Amino acid sequence: MAFRKRGVVLPQAGSTTPSGSSSLPTAAAKEQAKGTRPSPLTGTPTTSTGTSSLDSLFGGHSGLVLGSSLLIEEQGTTDFGGAVLRYYAAEGVVQGHTVHVLGVGEAWGRELPGLNEEKPKKEVAKVDGIGREREERMKIAWRYERLGEFGTSGREKTATTSTFCHTFDLSKRLILPSPSNIHFSPLSTQPDLSFKPTDPSVSPFTKFLTYLERQLASSPPTTIHRIIIPSLLSPALYPSHASCPEHVLQFLHSLRALLRAHPTTTSALITFPLSLFPRSTGLTRWIELLSDSVIELAPFPSSSLQVKAVPGQEEPAQGMLNIHCLMGGVGGGDDLSFVLGRRKGLVVRPYSLPPVDGDQEGQNPGGIEVEGGGKATKADIEF
Amino acid sequence: MASKIPPLLEPYLALPPEASLILLTSVLGASTNWLVLRLLHSALASPGDEDTKVVFVSFMRDLAFWKDGAKRLGLDLEKLAAKKRFKFVDGLSGLFVPEMQKAVVGKVGEKILSNPALEHVSGDIFGSIRDLKADGGKILLVVDQLDLLLAAGGENIGAVSVGEMLMGLQEEVHSTVTTLSADFPLVSVQQTPLEKDHAAFLLSMAHQADFTMALRLLDSGTARDVSGVIRITVGDQLREDDRDIQRRMEERELLYFVGGDGGVRVFERGQ
Repeated sequence: MAFRKRGVVLPQAGSTTPSGSSSLPTAAAKEQAKGTRPSPLTGTPTTSTGTSSLDSLFGGHSGLVLGSSLLIEEQGTTDFGGAVLRYYAAEGVVQGHTVHVLGVGEAWGRELPGLNEEKPKKEVAKVDGIGREREERMKIAWRYERLGEFGTSGREKTATTSTFCHTFDLSKRLILPSPSNIHFSPLSTQPDLSFKPTDPSVSPFTKFLTYLERQLASSPPTTIHRIIIPSLLSPALYPSHASCPEHVLQFLHSLRALLRAHPTTTSALITFPLSLFPRSTGLTRWIELLSDSVIELAPFPSSSLQVKAVPGQEEPAQGMLNIHCLMGGVGGGDDLSFVLGRRKGLVVRPYSLPPVDGDQEGQNPGGIEVEGGGKATKADIEF
Repeated sequence: MASKIPPLLEPYLALPPEASLILLTSVLGASTNWLVLRLLHSALASPGDEDTKVVFVSFMRDLAFWKDGAKRLGLDLEKLAAKKRFKFVDGLSGLFVPEMQKAVVGKVGEKILSNPALEHVSGDIFGSIRDLKADGGKILLVVDQLDLLLAAGGENIGAVSVGEMLMGLQEEVHSTVTTLSADFPLVSVQQTPLEKDHAAFLLSMAHQADFTMALRLLDSGTARDVSGVIRITVGDQLREDDRDIQRRMEERELLYFVGGDGGVRVFERGQ
């Protein structure tokens, strides 16, 4: 510094360093595409699944790591997994990501949940929210306090990082932007008039792969892609030879390769019907091994659902959520349950049997006997 | 240092004797990645030993993942590749992807498999081995998740042919390490061809192996400070012939914990 002219260099140095330091964050902010944020754990970019409590499951990453896939297995005939997919799709549409839906037609996209309009009001009343939370905390017994924290951390996240994960309302419908950023690639079916039997040696997934590859290769490097595969291998959508190991496993392996080839712009969510392909089979295990994260939704049978929502209490759980393998991992082995609500979407929380009420339910020996009136919650979960 | 090789595993991760086969098995949720990385580290980063070279074939993960993991252990795979001590054979990026197959140009020290037919796979691995072998040295062949080829390869690829391929590769190298999945559904029921082939291959490998390191989850459920169990079993051949290795090999069962930062701690039960 001493050798430089004071008049010229100093202002330069002064101007370059602040501009350099100020341009760096802006460049970083620009680089950070909409709807993504770096993982606090490793710094790899993550995106939201559209369900904030599902995001917080990913341990330190607190979001779905880009370049990875999540397999959601579901027992039984319910479609909770489909709801999660729709949240994921809706989040992508709102964030301006490119959404690719494989295997189903456009009708699927008409049922995306709409944005929750009440959000601005809630944000204004953020202070109130904290007050309310404190109030809630007063009500719950100390031994449930930790459970409460789990839920609030999820809720807080939606409030503060609303751009990362929006809240949706299942009773509304999302209005898609006119040049739609959601693309459908229905399963390649031959024209209806030709009665040629399908050749089982030709993989039904080839079309997906070429389509995806072209889309990923041709799009600018800043576009974020979301790949959605609803009910993989379900016979309602896929021909029977799709479940040949060489077809489906090669497809998933290629999908994995594509995700890894675009590690900062892609993510994938797949749902898989477990009742048709039980976890005790080798094929299912390979499908799990080829996915980066695997969770299983096990809804309670409708007969054992504790349907009566007690006002002022949390809604009763609708099923268990089992984690088989998760990037980032969740700390500890709490049993997790989930609830799908109209406003809150899917909420994952530690499972706890409800405290036995002294007045009416206490008379029942189990305390979780089915009550007659289930209309209130049933209306909530119908969509 | 927690991130380096755990002291309890040191004897098992040292360079195995000539012509040996080591089997690592994993289950869903208890992957062998950390073990493979430590194996690479002990083969490539031991001071004073510039002789050992590694040909690493991975069917489930790309080079970026392994590079990242190795960097955390202080191992620069790129530099080693430039020094011709490391060669990566990528079995993920181009194996089944339809159009990419044409334009697969690997970087230095990287070979991308583009044809799932066994003769092509083994030919490419042979080529990589020969590349490194040109200037002498001991070559350690590490094949990660060879069973994928068996599962996804279709009818033409069976347990016997994959086993033969590995046998052929073993002849060319100093010693071989392979990782396979040993999930219960893959080996117990054996109804579909997929399960039968997998079980047959896994069992034959387990019998051939000089020792097996099997990773599994805790039987009692998940825990905060334990990721899983590692069980080390010495193979039949090793027990029969009285080799030097016998002295340092001991059958044991240990617990391990993989931290969020990739650091690993291995300890005995109750410690």
